[in-house]
Amino acid sequence: MISRTQANPAVPSQSVDEDSDAETADTALYEKLGELTRFIDKTIKTISQFSAPMSATTEQLPDATTHLRDLRKLTEEGTHKVMQLVETVEDNRKRVFAQLDALERHLTGDNAAAIASIRAGLKKDDKPLIDIITALSFQDLVAQRVNKLVTIVEEVEHKLLELVVVFGPYTKGAGKEEAGKASEMLKQLEASKNTSMNQDVADEILKQFGFN
Amino acid sequence: MPADLNMKILVVDDMSTMRRIVKNILKQLGFSNMEEAENGQEALQKLRAEPFGFVVSDWNMPVMPGIEMLRAIRADEKLKHIPVLMVTAEAQKENLIEAIQAGVNNYVVKPFTAETMQEKINKIFNK
Repeated sequence: MISRTQANPAVPSQSVDEDSDAETADTALYEKLGELTRFIDKTIKTISQFSAPMSATTEQLPDATTHLRDLRKLTEEGTHKVMQLVETVEDNRKRVFAQLDALERHLTGDNAAAIASIRAGLKKDDKPLIDIITALSFQDLVAQRVNKLVTIVEEVEHKLLELVVVFGPYTKGAGKEEAGKASEMLKQLEASKNTSMNQDVADEILKQFGFN
Repeated sequence: MPADLNMKILVVDDMSTMRRIVKNILKQLGFSNMEEAENGQEALQKLRAEPFGFVVSDWNMPVMPGIEMLRAIRADEKLKHIPVLMVTAEAQKENLIEAIQAGVNNYVVKPFTAETMQEKINKIFNK
């Protein structure tokens, strides 16, 4: 290649140096651009290899959310069943108490004392029965966490679909993105593990606000 | 003044299991007149339609959360005197402070026991 200096000897030497520097910079730039293009091409090919497994995973996620919803429904049904049984036991106990009351009116002495003793024995079941009912509140906590998980899984599904559309052979729509919702919910789930109050802490705060 | 066992109580929760649990506990505590609502909006409609003496509400509900319902109750001349107990899994300190500022009468963190609920109800009505 003939430089401008050779073609036109009248050009001053300083200008020759500047041209030479610019040429070197151009070459370096082309090399960098080439390098970047090869890197992008390689990255696209690499990511495209994940397209099939990503598609498969994306297709499985709706099933996962269905399973989660089933889990919520099953715990709800189970909880209602247990409550129904406890309520039946409580209704039976009420009838037995009423019968004991009626019986006691006709009895005296040791027989009356025996009835009182039976009644006291039955009364001991009051607390365990209500404790069974309150223990079932776990279902509400399960349902709330499952709801959050369903939202997170749906968000992941949408994001995967977007990746498949960008890098894969498929062009189907991935649905609308609800920006940040999944990460926010994940943060909420994580935060609740570390910062949630127990009743003692709640009572302490209530006390500070004048609740006795 | 102890709680009137005949007063009408509104139990507000989107989960049918929780409404049933709370009603069972209230029944065990001697209350017998209870109604249910699935969210704050439905609760407000019921509160405006008939007299209630007490509200037990969840926080996290669709349509209208408990905290919004509480603010609406306190902003309503006819309803603002009704005691409200929040029974909720929203267990962050900020939630409790927000509820106090909105005018809650007491606060129970899920999961809870019947004794805790009784204690809170006693505190509300024995003031």
